[in-house]
Amino acid sequence: MDNMHLVLQSLISGISIGCVYGLIGIGFCVIYNASGIVNFAQGAFVMLGGMVTYVLIERFQMPYVVAALGAIVVTGFVGACVERLVVRPLWNRSAPMFVMILATLAAQIVIERLTYILVDDQPKTLPAFSDLPPIMLGGVAINFQSLWIMAGSVLIVVALGLFFKTTRTGKAMRAVSINAEAAALQGIPVSLMLTLAFVLSAMLGALAGILLTPTQYTAFNMGVPFAISGFIAAIIGGFGRPLGAFLGGIALGLIQAMAILGLGAGFKNVAALSLLLLFLFVRPSGLLGSTR
Amino acid sequence: MTPTGTLQVADPVLDVRGLSARYGHVEALKSADISAGKGELVAVLGPNGAGKSTLLRAIMGLIPNEGEVRFLGNSLPRRDPVGAATKGVVLVPEGRGIFGPMTVLENLELGAYKIGGDRQEMERRLTHVFELFPRVKERLKQVAGSMSGGEQQMVAVGRAMMADPKVLLLDEPSLGLAPRVTGEILETLGTLSASGLPVVLVEQKAPLALKLACRAYLLSLGRIVATINPREVKSHDELAQYYFA
Repeated sequence: MDNMHLVLQSLISGISIGCVYGLIGIGFCVIYNASGIVNFAQGAFVMLGGMVTYVLIERFQMPYVVAALGAIVVTGFVGACVERLVVRPLWNRSAPMFVMILATLAAQIVIERLTYILVDDQPKTLPAFSDLPPIMLGGVAINFQSLWIMAGSVLIVVALGLFFKTTRTGKAMRAVSINAEAAALQGIPVSLMLTLAFVLSAMLGALAGILLTPTQYTAFNMGVPFAISGFIAAIIGGFGRPLGAFLGGIALGLIQAMAILGLGAGFKNVAALSLLLLFLFVRPSGLLGSTR
Repeated sequence: MTPTGTLQVADPVLDVRGLSARYGHVEALKSADISAGKGELVAVLGPNGAGKSTLLRAIMGLIPNEGEVRFLGNSLPRRDPVGAATKGVVLVPEGRGIFGPMTVLENLELGAYKIGGDRQEMERRLTHVFELFPRVKERLKQVAGSMSGGEQQMVAVGRAMMADPKVLLLDEPSLGLAPRVTGEILETLGTLSASGLPVVLVEQKAPLALKLACRAYLLSLGRIVATINPREVKSHDELAQYYFA
């Protein structure tokens, strides 16, 4: 494979993983917009997506699609539990934002450890969605799972955009994110919208995990690195901007892919954190400008 | 002008009794009594910091409060703004509180959030708002935050009307607006009141409010110090004298 093909191959791989980072980043934005909280349990939702799908297939012999849908529902429920049991009591006591953010980190650790106890500590993987050979495009091989990830992510972003733009609940969630007090004065149940934000965010994390696991693996402790990547994607895109987070994720995936190709795998995180620092110094509001 | 609490309404839609509220150790509202009946426009007047906005925020349950807010004969929960709005007590807050990045139509639709997906009812309410503020109809697709202050205030009042309120509270609707636009909005409030809707208007521009009001409460340092019959106010000097007494 010549250099050009190698670069193109890496770019496709970067875009593919970047889409996943983008979905995780969107999860951060949805909760941040609704509550101002940076939810560090987001990584646990990604892990649960792959892990619950695996458990439902292996232990309960469910078909792949049913198991994946089940995992999304279960993770959404866990998201609601995190909001009701961890965030809400602190919110009601007007706890400082810093305390609530730390509480979500604690929730992440609890979910991780529970998974460790209930499943085990071994990495798990899922079969690829399509059992087909890679598509060859001018010497560049594109595997079907990458196509699934890219197409699935774009579909999710479009569906999310339509949800926020056209549905009554989506508009109400946007209103809460713009001005929660004014939203309450319209009779919009602000506390329910906060719960919905956690559920939606958890489901997005689960989807990212399900798309990702066939190309890599899932394990009880894989959430944090992906949460960090999603967090960086959200910052690059402009914190609170879902589309920005998606673009930020793709930018992050591309930078990482180029760093691995040019400098070696050890520079993957160096590149990611350098990109983060660059944005924090030069353009702290991100690609699209942050919402607050 | 009469001492506080002497002008009673026979059958009030909104009846506030002994309402107090504090910010930390500061008691911003002290045992306030006000009421508004069907078709009444009552004004709440007073200088900056008198507690006018606090009164409305306490009625809505936006801040911790003590006392009683009775609406159509039943007590409103102490800290439930969503519940109060759903029942029909609707506040247009100071600064308008419009959803700036959303379109005018989206703002209006959110005002009718409680009706769910009833498109027919939504259309009926939109038509009513367009009758009140024809200019709003021309700007439905515009991002609300890009409108002038006066137009934003029309959207804010229109959005409140989308909720089909049983009592309408307004916090300084004239703030930062040109006199012509202020006049237009206050005229609309007069029309609404004449149609039977009780309106509680918090306003610093006392002469404007007194032109419309059937009764005015004068707040000073968190306490209602007088209940005024606007027809008895002979001159601005007389009002000013009371204001600063």
